Amino acid sequence: MQTLAVFPGCLVLQRMPQYEKATIRVLRELGICLENIPGAACCGAPLESFTDRWRYLAIYDLALAEQMGRDVVTLCGNCANTLSRAKADMVDPGLRAQVNQALERLGLRFSGVAEIKHLIRLLSEHLDELREKVTRQLPLRVAVTHPCQAIRPSEVMGFDDPLQPEAMRRIVELTGAEVVDYEAEQDCCGSTLYLADEKLGLEAGRRKLSSAGGADVLVDACGNCQLLLERFQGLLRQSGGIEKTAVLTLPQLLGLAMGIDTDDLGIGPATARELIGSSV
Amino acid sequence: MSKTELDALLKGCTQCGLCREVCIVERLGAHSITSFLCGEEEYSSWLCSSCWRCQEVCPQGVDIHSIMMAKRRQEEPPPGHEAILVNALRFGYALPIENAVNELRRFHGLEPVQLISKQAVETLLEGLEARKAGE
Repeated sequence: MQTLAVFPGCLVLQRMPQYEKATIRVLRELGICLENIPGAACCGAPLESFTDRWRYLAIYDLALAEQMGRDVVTLCGNCANTLSRAKADMVDPGLRAQVNQALERLGLRFSGVAEIKHLIRLLSEHLDELREKVTRQLPLRVAVTHPCQAIRPSEVMGFDDPLQPEAMRRIVELTGAEVVDYEAEQDCCGSTLYLADEKLGLEAGRRKLSSAGGADVLVDACGNCQLLLERFQGLLRQSGGIEKTAVLTLPQLLGLAMGIDTDDLGIGPATARELIGSSV
Repeated sequence: MSKTELDALLKGCTQCGLCREVCIVERLGAHSITSFLCGEEEYSSWLCSSCWRCQEVCPQGVDIHSIMMAKRRQEEPPPGHEAILVNALRFGYALPIENAVNELRRFHGLEPVQLISKQAVETLLEGLEARKAGE
């Protein structure tokens, strides 16, 4: 049994326990156990706009994981990106010494041994085991939304094609679902833009959602994407032009194909009926 | 950031406009940092979806992200970003993590969130305050 520290990120912690729950359940099938990081803080991403000390938060989180002796899996593209960039910046010995000086006051030390992987990357390393665990082929047309920040900048993230990502499609294909192409597939969902300008963020989302309109279900693997696809979809439907489309996180879709109970995946009965009929 | 430092970051930029072509904000009709890179004055460094496509396609390897962050620290933050700063200083997270969050987690069989101590936040973010953050 492999054990990893899970870093859900604030959006998932605050609003998407179903995503975290489904991740834990699906990874258990692969013999991977997740542990929380007690006392963890923000990845630092939103603070980078204000201060260079954003790295202190990120490195603090990594030092906590190191203390637990665990590598880190993130559920949000933004967190994956920020933690990875902060770690990469620690090659600067002066900066590293400064951060460690602050960490020392908290009884911690960063050595750089903990690896950081976004969930898509982790799952991509277990495709064969996942294939063996699939017990039910899903007769669904799936539109995937790739978490921008989990794959870019490629020089730091070092995973998947940074402009035409494939990893998430390969995982979804294991479930028997058909991955549909759609024009806005590579476009950002707009969720992070919403914070600075609501109208622009929602317009980005509207374009993405209407472009993916032919799919039965939208699948994401990021707190930001999930927020846009699910919560903001409600706002967008009120203003018209968008049809309601079911949204699942990647582990929820995988869990369905593995025959895991929908309650354990945090999938509501109405959505479950809509997607897989009465066979649940 | 001084003008010299900014010029150093901009070194190599030929204003080819590829960054602006892939920018979703520009395609929506607004002006992001990529407009600044193309030599225009009308732009906001806060209008960005953080998708990193501009930097990925830049043939000169310009660190657009760092330029944007430096510019943000000189511009007034939108209220949404300011609110995040306030939350981070209070909870250690960008969003408020209060009792209701742990109740919902318990319902889903998840362990409660154990927050970072206030003192640890102060140690890590020493000197950072809301409203004065850009200074």
